[in-house]
Amino acid sequence: MSSVEFRKDLFADERPENLNEIGLPKQRQDALGHVTGRSPYYDDNLYDGLLHMRMVRSSEYHARIRSISLNGADMMPGVVRVIQAADVPHNINTLLSLIGFGRDDEALLQDKKVSYRGEAILAIIAETELQARKACQAVRVDYEALPHVLDVEEALKPQAPVVNEEYPNNTFDYYDRYDHQKLRFGDPHAAMARADHIVEGEYQMSPIEQAPMETCGAIAVPETNDRILCHTCSQALFFSLGTTAKLLDTPSSRLHFKGGTVGGGFGGKVDSLNEPMAVLGAKLTGRPVKFTWDREEEMQVGAPRGAERWRIRDGVMNDGRIIAREFTGFFDSGAYTRLSSYAVVKGTAHLPGPYTIPNVASNVYCVFTNRTPATAMRGFGITGVDFAIECHMDKVAETVRMNPIELRLLNAYRDGDMKPHRRVAKNTAYIECCQVAAGKADWAIAPEYSAMSSLRDGGGERASIPLTMIDEEGRIGERKRGANIDTAPSKITKDSGRAPSVIPILEATQAMGEQAAGRPQVGKATSPAPQPSAPPAPAPAMAPSQTPSPTSAVPAAPQRSAFARLQASEPAAPSQSRPVEPQPSTPTPPSESEQPYRPSEPFSRGVKRPGASPFISGRRR
Amino acid sequence: MIAVETYASADQAATALHGDAVFLGGGTLIMRAVNYGDLKTERIVRSTDPAMKSISTSGERISIGAAATMSDVMLNPQLAFLAPVARSIGGPAVRNMATVGGNLFASHPYGDFAVALLALDGRVSVAGSGEEDLGAFLARRSSFSGVVTEVSIARPATGDFRYRKVSRIKPKGVSVMSLAAWLPRSGGRLSGARVAFGAMGNTPVRANGVERALEGANLDVSGIAEALRAVRTDLQPPDDPIASSWYRSEVAPVHLRRLLLDEEVS
Repeated sequence: MSSVEFRKDLFADERPENLNEIGLPKQRQDALGHVTGRSPYYDDNLYDGLLHMRMVRSSEYHARIRSISLNGADMMPGVVRVIQAADVPHNINTLLSLIGFGRDDEALLQDKKVSYRGEAILAIIAETELQARKACQAVRVDYEALPHVLDVEEALKPQAPVVNEEYPNNTFDYYDRYDHQKLRFGDPHAAMARADHIVEGEYQMSPIEQAPMETCGAIAVPETNDRILCHTCSQALFFSLGTTAKLLDTPSSRLHFKGGTVGGGFGGKVDSLNEPMAVLGAKLTGRPVKFTWDREEEMQVGAPRGAERWRIRDGVMNDGRIIAREFTGFFDSGAYTRLSSYAVVKGTAHLPGPYTIPNVASNVYCVFTNRTPATAMRGFGITGVDFAIECHMDKVAETVRMNPIELRLLNAYRDGDMKPHRRVAKNTAYIECCQVAAGKADWAIAPEYSAMSSLRDGGGERASIPLTMIDEEGRIGERKRGANIDTAPSKITKDSGRAPSVIPILEATQAMGEQAAGRPQVGKATSPAPQPSAPPAPAPAMAPSQTPSPTSAVPAAPQRSAFARLQASEPAAPSQSRPVEPQPSTPTPPSESEQPYRPSEPFSRGVKRPGASPFISGRRR
Repeated sequence: MIAVETYASADQAATALHGDAVFLGGGTLIMRAVNYGDLKTERIVRSTDPAMKSISTSGERISIGAAATMSDVMLNPQLAFLAPVARSIGGPAVRNMATVGGNLFASHPYGDFAVALLALDGRVSVAGSGEEDLGAFLARRSSFSGVVTEVSIARPATGDFRYRKVSRIKPKGVSVMSLAAWLPRSGGRLSGARVAFGAMGNTPVRANGVERALEGANLDVSGIAEALRAVRTDLQPPDDPIASSWYRSEVAPVHLRRLLLDEEVS
């Protein structure tokens, strides 16, 4: 029945054999419905008097709307209602405001400026879909074309047009401080200086449309008691409900969202806007309204996996050890934020891939361009950079003339190793994956590589957090003001002689780790107790010059993530004199939450309600 | 609302085709457009004329009713040489609906069946008028209004007809190009060869330079060399998401050689 091969010989002692689900083939819960053709889809709900909604969309990539002329569309046969921006009660939102991340930047319907081709301007509801289409065709929009920008790095230039008024620098603001997400671990620049080879590469991924068989759509139906029922194919029913409640300024108790079968989603139905439009239509007409995209809309305005550009720069020794890795990454968010801001954070936590590299730095940008807003798709934030990393590993292997799988095994992370975002790696299993893949592909690897295990030789010195170079480069708006700043991570190094910022990041992180573990903080040990370095590389994972005594005192065990706290808790406006970057002191709520609670707003999610337990925490990730 | 009108005979249907009406064959093109919001379609005219579904193989030429489907062609033992062509159109569901007549109107890069008909000296019968050459018909198809009732083709001798469809995805991919050749021989040399290409122009087209170069040639490597040179300049293929014009021109000689020499492709 299943073509899955379970390798129970690996990690045999980590998993009991008497589990009922894990390790057993499992039939999909919807398989029977699908093969018998009985799975109910949202579009299977039939209603008398169902109305159909179509959208007038921007034909321009970037333009100011001078005027909109209905041109008699509202009087055409079958037309019941025209919905314009002014009809949307709270016409501004960002998806992740529901978890308190980012600022509202996207209107449901635009009447002032369009920022991508296909952006919704107004909606027409008619008795038939054809009538709605014809009415849409009659509408005339007078545009004043604006210069547009379609490339992420062009968008960072000072003279680039402003895509998104909420983020005038064309970049998402991270922690109210930087125009990018930073990751700093060790001193990559110094390590590069002593590396035998520098290997550089640039990798570009195009947007990818999820292309579900069932296009995005929703049917909204007035119920009794001023309630609206909404059938939807959304992948994220409660995201949809929250978004609809917010945009329509409606208590969520007035909305009855009914999901069910998703006819293919793959991320493309996480942030659909069909639901608020259909519900608004039902409220304004008092009749059932269906708003379904056709295929062209699915392709043109359906949010894809965003394009990504990555530059990787590695410092590599002749024996194949990668001693430093630098990333410069650009996520093309399109015209609005949607989920790309989060993808950047998620992607950063993944760097430098499943490898233990003692010096890592990355600058990752969430960039606004006049393209279709990007969203989730299958491991987004990770998939693109993984493609870049693995292409780059092959390039490194070629440079040092090494078997590419052996190169990966040599640099693979192991259980107990410290990841650059200050989490200890566990259940890594990458070494075993490489070994099995090599075996399946009849790809020869040397016996010492076959004998490696992710369970052994990790941790110890590899669990330590090195002295880390930090910097303040890339403040919000600096680039726009014309400051000539490289997009790549800072070149500041302790060897450069201009280093006021060699900061042992140890103390605070250690304190955090102990705090998290519920232990009292022990004295700051300084005893030099060099840990044995990890085989197989004969040299230590970090050069001696990089392992000053404080690092070896880091307890290998529970290090709470400084990174996780950095996102949620970093004070918004640190003083310039405070040099250490990721040093949270007391948790402070994100800036969005600093505004006082406004009870006049009928809808308010848990994160905005003081004292209530958060529905979805903005701090979990 | 879109009106659908059904007529018992092709002639009646032709009379009803005025204004913004379209004639519905199998529906694989028109209904897709309608479902995707084509605003031009107001009236759909169809015919249940049984004559349009008939396939006649008794005469000197073979007549195929315009309403015969790809599946009908595949099931007819007399049309075994056309079965691989029909099989290259769409998937099973499409082949059960798609008609021979409708294929004449399939826009680039579709219409591979018409390529085979063109190579086989196809002639088109139109309700209320006579027969006309398929090549000339394809050239004016965008402005054509009427009902095609049948297509007649020559009956090739065994082994004289060749067809290939080149696509990036098998078995259902869209054509990079499709090629069909009718290669009658007299005394071992080609005489009156017809070679047609699909997806190499706005419509299926004959490669006249190739045909001239093949006249009197032997069907071997040296005999077709001139034809392979000619094919580069014979056609002006379009750019589309499947392949660029440049790519199509570059690989056309390769695929033509494989077609003419009946080479195996792994």
